[in-house]
Amino acid sequence: MMTQITKRNANKFLKDEYDDLVKNHIEWNIRVLESGSKPHSIVNGKEVIMMCSNNYLNLSNHPRLIKGSIEAAKKYGAGSGSVRAIAGTLQIHTEVEKRLARFKRTESALIYQTGFAANAGLIPQLVSDGDIVISDKLNHGSIIDGVRLSKAERAVYEHRDMSDLEKVLKDADKKYRRILIITDGVFSMDGDIAPMDKIVKLANEYGAMTYVDDAHGEGVIGPDGRGIGAHFHIEGKIDVEMGTFSKAFGVVGGLIAGSQDLINFAYNKSRTWLLSGSHPPAVSGAQLAAIDVLETEPEHVKRLWDNTKYFKNELKSLGFNTGESETPITPVIVGDSGKAKELSNQLFDEGVFALPIVFPMVARDKARIRTMMNAGLTQKDLDFALDKFEKLGKQLSII
Amino acid sequence: MTVQIGFLVNPIAGMGGRVGLKGTDGVLKKAVMLGAKPVTPQKAEEMLREFCAISANHRDLQWITCGGDMGNNELEAVGIKNKQVVYSPSGNTTSADDTKNACKKLLEHHIDLLVFCGGDGTTRDIFTIVDKKIPLLGIPAGVKMHSGVFGINTTAAAKMLHEFINERLTIGDAEIMDLDEELYRRGEWKVRLFGVAKGIVEPTYIQVGKACFESVSDDEVKDELAEHINDELEKHPGWLFLFCSGGTIDYIAKKLNIQHTLLGIDAIYQKQLVGKDVNEKQILTLLKKYPKTKILLSPIGAQGFILGRGNLQLSPAVINKIGVDNIIVVATPSKLMHTPILRVDTGDKKLDRLFTTQGYLMVVIGYRLSRVVKLQTNSF
Repeated sequence: MMTQITKRNANKFLKDEYDDLVKNHIEWNIRVLESGSKPHSIVNGKEVIMMCSNNYLNLSNHPRLIKGSIEAAKKYGAGSGSVRAIAGTLQIHTEVEKRLARFKRTESALIYQTGFAANAGLIPQLVSDGDIVISDKLNHGSIIDGVRLSKAERAVYEHRDMSDLEKVLKDADKKYRRILIITDGVFSMDGDIAPMDKIVKLANEYGAMTYVDDAHGEGVIGPDGRGIGAHFHIEGKIDVEMGTFSKAFGVVGGLIAGSQDLINFAYNKSRTWLLSGSHPPAVSGAQLAAIDVLETEPEHVKRLWDNTKYFKNELKSLGFNTGESETPITPVIVGDSGKAKELSNQLFDEGVFALPIVFPMVARDKARIRTMMNAGLTQKDLDFALDKFEKLGKQLSII
Repeated sequence: MTVQIGFLVNPIAGMGGRVGLKGTDGVLKKAVMLGAKPVTPQKAEEMLREFCAISANHRDLQWITCGGDMGNNELEAVGIKNKQVVYSPSGNTTSADDTKNACKKLLEHHIDLLVFCGGDGTTRDIFTIVDKKIPLLGIPAGVKMHSGVFGINTTAAAKMLHEFINERLTIGDAEIMDLDEELYRRGEWKVRLFGVAKGIVEPTYIQVGKACFESVSDDEVKDELAEHINDELEKHPGWLFLFCSGGTIDYIAKKLNIQHTLLGIDAIYQKQLVGKDVNEKQILTLLKKYPKTKILLSPIGAQGFILGRGNLQLSPAVINKIGVDNIIVVATPSKLMHTPILRVDTGDKKLDRLFTTQGYLMVVIGYRLSRVVKLQTNSF
């Protein structure tokens, strides 16, 4: 009888690598929300004020979105049945795209399954061997992944530094076929905004294409939350406005808005768009309703900003350092990483859910709690949170 | 596990500079006659005090040191008790031999890091014994510090030690430089690469998930640089490449199975060695045969020189023939953190101005990844 000699254990590495992460305290500890994502949520059995979700306008819980979801499901079913290119484009998908283009005041728009899929699918098609992608040093991971997938060269410029960007452009101008400048619109660590008007101006001087990932800007900045293009009064001037429905819009989905040429190119070339199933009707129904709400109910964006101003000012008067934020993302700078983690844990115990951001995401001595404001929080909620920040801030000698 | 830190002070380093001599090697008597007083014990103590102030767990360290002003006195002065003296100098004045003998003893005690106080001369003496066996961290106190092992001042050195024992730093290359002291005293400036030691550096981080970063080793970054250079070689098959000196270029060459002279310049054509450790004359001869040439460089030493130190064979004649557009500079992000400004000093003011009018260079820091780095001429 032949004895089978096993050469390797195909699965052992799964446990070994996970155990290694645990040993180094860098494994992900997932907290489970038993409620939905609400201003008051139940997380791991505890009621907390939610200050770390991207549901800025609380639209996830808006009755019109919920109704839109249910009605779309009833009308079109639970799933779309296919990929967009073959038999998975439902009328409701194209309707969302038309409404989105109108909202963003661009010629056209396209929906992807997620924001990540938009970046990963489109960026590698815009540039290739012989081209260069120029990106802000602090760009988000999904941009970086999209860039890595392409065969293009990459150059980084110092965060929001236009003189550095220009140096890179001058050099690139001599050497490359196409130049693509990519930046986050709102940077999710410090809550600062990219100087998009200046970037577009420089891009035009050197014949570069501009791409903005406005994930944290959609529904937040610009009149009626129409995003960074509207914020700088340059709608239609940014070549690719990329965003997501999963933050302020309260649903899920990636989006790009721009010229019809861009959209025609994108849906013919993006592998993520072509090879992955399209959104269930319920998602599209909620997306449509979200656009409706933003167009007709300006009070949500207003309340988000009122809350933001109040919270920032109160934190400052308590003695906290809130950095350079220009958006509803407000860092509470603590300094030492250990202290930041401790503060976050204690805040959670006291009923406030906000995450610590530590080195290397930020400098060693600039660890912080990152708070994300929410339009659904009342003044009472904010005062409750401020109270906890004050109490724990004093206990931990931060203020 | 207790971390073992080797601690060595060169009591005579730095004495020359205070009295106008350039270096102390060989001129100690003259320096003393001119009124020079020891500098390093005070600098070493300063660093230790700063370290104790920021490091809560310094009591978990074991210091392995040398007698008298070679380390023990300084540790005593700041109240560090968990130490062991493993070498004592015989006479009242110490010499390079004491440094070397002390290092032999320190190595026997399996130290994790050697912290020393001195200048380039001290660094070379240490390197001849320690080589790449353990990383080095220099507290600057000598007259001239061109080697890349030094913190920029005592505070920086204290911080680096603190980060090292908290396992937040990684090992990287640190160039050891050699200045011909006799020539220098006669007004001639010839700094060569003496060797490449291990230093401690800030790791490079890559984003691997939302709010999640992973540190990558210096070697992993250099693997990327090697891949990038491999592509360059393949894209330019008819070109000669001059692989210059230093640890980064050496790593890249070895990764591409190309022979390389660590301290010199090699000429590579289609991945084959066509000129080993070439001087200026030999390069100019090669350029007649290979009119299309690229230079591959990496920053050298504490001041981040790419031209003029450690790559002296690249004379103005050579650079003018090759063309400044055909210079490729590679560096790991951790190296650039240590030397954020690159420097040139070709000896030809017109050529230097060509570089510095632009004021910056694009430096390759990963596979198909580059960034702007400021450029200056030497201002010594």
